[in-house]
Amino acid sequence: MASEHENMLMSMSPSVLHPRDMTEAWTFKKLLDSDAVYVAGGTLLRTQWESGQAAMPKHLIDLSSIPGLKGIEKEEHSLAIGALTPLSECRKDEHIRLHCPMLVDAIRSIAAISVRNVATIGGNIVSRVGDCLPVFIVCQADFEWNTGLSPMTEDASEWTERLQAQLPKASHLLTRIHLPLFKTTEIVPRRFGAFHKVGRREAFTPSLITVALNGGLKADGTVGEIRVAAGGGQTIPHRLFAAEKLMKGQQINRELLAAVHQTIVDGYKPKPDPFATEAYRKKTAANLIVAELWKIAAGPSDEGRERDDP
Amino acid sequence: MILNRTTSGGRWRIRPDGPDKVTGKLAYLTDMSREGMLIGRVLRSPHPHAGIVAIHTDNARKIPGVHAVITHADVPGLNRFGIVNPDQPVLCEDRVRFIGDAVAAVAAETPELAALALESIEVEYVLLPVVDDPVQAQSKLSPKLHPGGNVLHRTQYGEGKVEKEFSGCKHIVEETYMTPRQMHTYMETEGGLFIPEEGGRLTVYSPTQHGYKDRMQLARILGLPEFNIRVVSSPIGGSFGGKDELNVQPYGALLALVTGKPVKIHHSRWESVRAGLKRHPMTIKMRTGVDGEGRILAHRVSIIADTGAYATLGAEVLNFCVEHVIGPYRYESVEVEGVSVYTNNGVSGEFRGFGGNQAIFALEGQMDRLAERLGMDPWEFRLLNMRKPEDPGPLGQEIVRTDGAKQVWDALAVNPLWLQRQETSKSEHWIRRGTGAAFVMHGSGLGFGIPDPAGGMLALAADGKIEAIFGYEEFGQGLIATLELMLIEQFGFGADDVRIVIGDTDLVPHSGSSTASRATGMMWKSLQKLRGPFLNRLLKEASSLLSIPTESLRVGIGGIWNDTQDHLLLTYGQLAQGATEEIIYQTHFPFPASPTKRIGAHYLYTYAAVAVQVEVNMLTGRVKLLKQVHAVAAGPVMNPQGFLGQIEGGSGMAVGFALTEDSDMDKGVYLTRNLDTYLIPSWADLNGEIEVQAIEDLPEGDEHGPRGVGEIGSVGIAPAIAEAVYQATGKRLNKLPIDPELLQEVPEFLTKAVDGR
Repeated sequence: MASEHENMLMSMSPSVLHPRDMTEAWTFKKLLDSDAVYVAGGTLLRTQWESGQAAMPKHLIDLSSIPGLKGIEKEEHSLAIGALTPLSECRKDEHIRLHCPMLVDAIRSIAAISVRNVATIGGNIVSRVGDCLPVFIVCQADFEWNTGLSPMTEDASEWTERLQAQLPKASHLLTRIHLPLFKTTEIVPRRFGAFHKVGRREAFTPSLITVALNGGLKADGTVGEIRVAAGGGQTIPHRLFAAEKLMKGQQINRELLAAVHQTIVDGYKPKPDPFATEAYRKKTAANLIVAELWKIAAGPSDEGRERDDP
Repeated sequence: MILNRTTSGGRWRIRPDGPDKVTGKLAYLTDMSREGMLIGRVLRSPHPHAGIVAIHTDNARKIPGVHAVITHADVPGLNRFGIVNPDQPVLCEDRVRFIGDAVAAVAAETPELAALALESIEVEYVLLPVVDDPVQAQSKLSPKLHPGGNVLHRTQYGEGKVEKEFSGCKHIVEETYMTPRQMHTYMETEGGLFIPEEGGRLTVYSPTQHGYKDRMQLARILGLPEFNIRVVSSPIGGSFGGKDELNVQPYGALLALVTGKPVKIHHSRWESVRAGLKRHPMTIKMRTGVDGEGRILAHRVSIIADTGAYATLGAEVLNFCVEHVIGPYRYESVEVEGVSVYTNNGVSGEFRGFGGNQAIFALEGQMDRLAERLGMDPWEFRLLNMRKPEDPGPLGQEIVRTDGAKQVWDALAVNPLWLQRQETSKSEHWIRRGTGAAFVMHGSGLGFGIPDPAGGMLALAADGKIEAIFGYEEFGQGLIATLELMLIEQFGFGADDVRIVIGDTDLVPHSGSSTASRATGMMWKSLQKLRGPFLNRLLKEASSLLSIPTESLRVGIGGIWNDTQDHLLLTYGQLAQGATEEIIYQTHFPFPASPTKRIGAHYLYTYAAVAVQVEVNMLTGRVKLLKQVHAVAAGPVMNPQGFLGQIEGGSGMAVGFALTEDSDMDKGVYLTRNLDTYLIPSWADLNGEIEVQAIEDLPEGDEHGPRGVGEIGSVGIAPAIAEAVYQATGKRLNKLPIDPELLQEVPEFLTKAVDGR
């Protein structure tokens, strides 16, 4: 009897494995399969274990002692962000602040300071519903994965599109994020970007709606390029392709924004939860995106309305 | 006076318990442990409503390290608790009525073993239909949750002929208001340490707002004489009414007595949400009519309160609500009926504001709607209908006369926030601003007909400390700081001379509960009564020791001084050593009650006027509170920091009540089970400006001194926010918390184009 009780007690506390490199981590995961999970900061996982959303596995594979996965480096055309870099470090990083302020906005909106000191940027991504994801999608970031064989790189948007259909391979280990550096060019002299998260309170709140957009205006004021993404709650963020398509090559005016608004309401597919209706999520996403475009563009000044400075 | 650090001058003192609290150094009762203690856990019903067929505890009992598994069969005394109406089983016998209902309890050597023991208890249930709607619960078809049916309490009040008066009304406003199941969300969850002592005594270290009441209830459950139980109850990491009723104490006490070992129980936040009390959700229907001049002719109110599975103070909360839906106004006729209904939705009980928050949200909503119909300024409309100082109280009862109502009205009328309410500077088209105000009359004390004792003791201890001994509790409100300041200012002692003794039934007298905005007033009154005898005695003893006449002696910092106060003649330590006999004085008196015999009717009132400015983002429908002003007439301010803390803190809770907080339930099951979905306001939600203006004047000859401020800050904010939102958006809201979806609009710049397509 006693041993049975001991076994039951043992099962309540998992063993923690400390791989020294990525190959070892990957090997542990391959061998132990669903009995083990990778843990970086563990801030989200612990809430899932506590709430019963996820069962405590038999083994935890602690990634924190693997060298080389932390820190931010500026490369020629991109920033390379180690997947284990804590959110708070990303928020303070001078390169990110300079080149991708909307990522800073996104990080600032995640949880609270003490959580961000522990939580990692990689964890925010592989949670599949992190608030950074819409930013990475619209900024055309690449995610670099250790697949056990050769490293694999995939565009953030493609990755999230694939997630809509199937779960990612659990053994794949996110190692790095490559965030492109956008520059104004002669063809696209004006760039813009924005991030918004709406929760049920002002801070330390789960998201109801998270939107991001990133693009550029041509000299003639038409939209040169644009990416728009939305997510929030348990919704895996996704690009709003139809809205992007409507805008490309067009002057931003009242009619276009009305059409974009309708397209987002029709096309954004939020997952439900008890805290906001689908209609609210859709309308909020559409409102925030068109309001941002309204600010960015010259605006329909022909109507005699003064435009606010962004 | 606008209360802040500057205007308070030297009275702005760091509270004695402050540094240890903010640094985390202070040990709460739930931080205590004892060598060899066991961990207690409670097995709670997973069903909102079910019959119990059998409880199998054999497997759990066999686990090594599990010292006790108890069920209803192990309760030696009354297997029920409830402050006024004991109808809640300590451990359920044959039926569970909410998902937190306790079925068994265990004590084990480790938390893991205790968890294992809980998992090993098998309970056979038969599911019963869930009663989750207080309206349907009253129908004949609804299952009966208690032998007497599903109505806990029904009450009414009437004056004049309402139906006749409605027929003469120029305007009538009818609205149904709904309020949320708010959670107290104290920082320290329920818990305690329970220690069996030699000689059959039991020491209970567990937070409560009334140690003696817990002692009485525990004695009843344990079948012990009350003096065999010692309840140590302070310091407390927040309560707000939520810990006034028993929570873990019966289980800790039973397990400690059964095992003969110290037992600790401490709820996780999950268990706290599941088992803890909530504010009564209420549906308040009001029909109010005015004549052409704006005088209220008729006011008809019906209140339905969801009291959940058990009574606790549900009846008293309803009585308070009935009184406060009438509130500060005069009516030609009034008719109020209220019903508090049992359901399988958790348990509702005492919560800061005590039914006043729900009442005033509805009443002030009516006032704003009526003023608008009349085309009158909403503040002028309130003044027109306001009770005069000589008028009786809301239930026709005699009340203590003050000018508080008019004073707070005047203060708000000239406040810049209110005067500039039409100015709506804004940054974006979709950001809209509005200002709203509310008027509050809030009773303190338990009300007529309910035993409401008060009192305290002063003693010179053997070590020379002046001891102020009270049966009140410190749960964060600043009671210790306020008492210390009163002793310094009213007696002339130094801070180092005094020792505050509270929260221990072996040491303190019966002072009544620390609830209903009553503790500060009752400490003040006690000290008024004790001051003369105590100081005279100190001087008399000093006089005989020093052979100096009492007229030439003064009580001061550190001891007894000469009459010019430049020589300390005798320290309090020397005085204590030399005194002929013990210097100890006690006073005991009831909280002042109205001579009018109406159960629950209040005698002492505090008045407040509140204005807020909000900003609504029309893209998201989200409301942000920018500024708030509170004018509060509560008599002299005993402790500026404490007063300000109560108003600001109460306001913070009210912002949650108005904007974010609701314990969502689906068929008797909480959907918001932790603080990641139940959202209280964060700093970012509360960082707007707050101005608190204290009006201290009382009529000449007033003998009641400071009135309570513990609750009133939490009452007026919600209706003021609702009105401010209306001013900003043109949308009337009748349900809290405010649903952003109801405010949200497609951006204006699209509307024309969209319409034109």
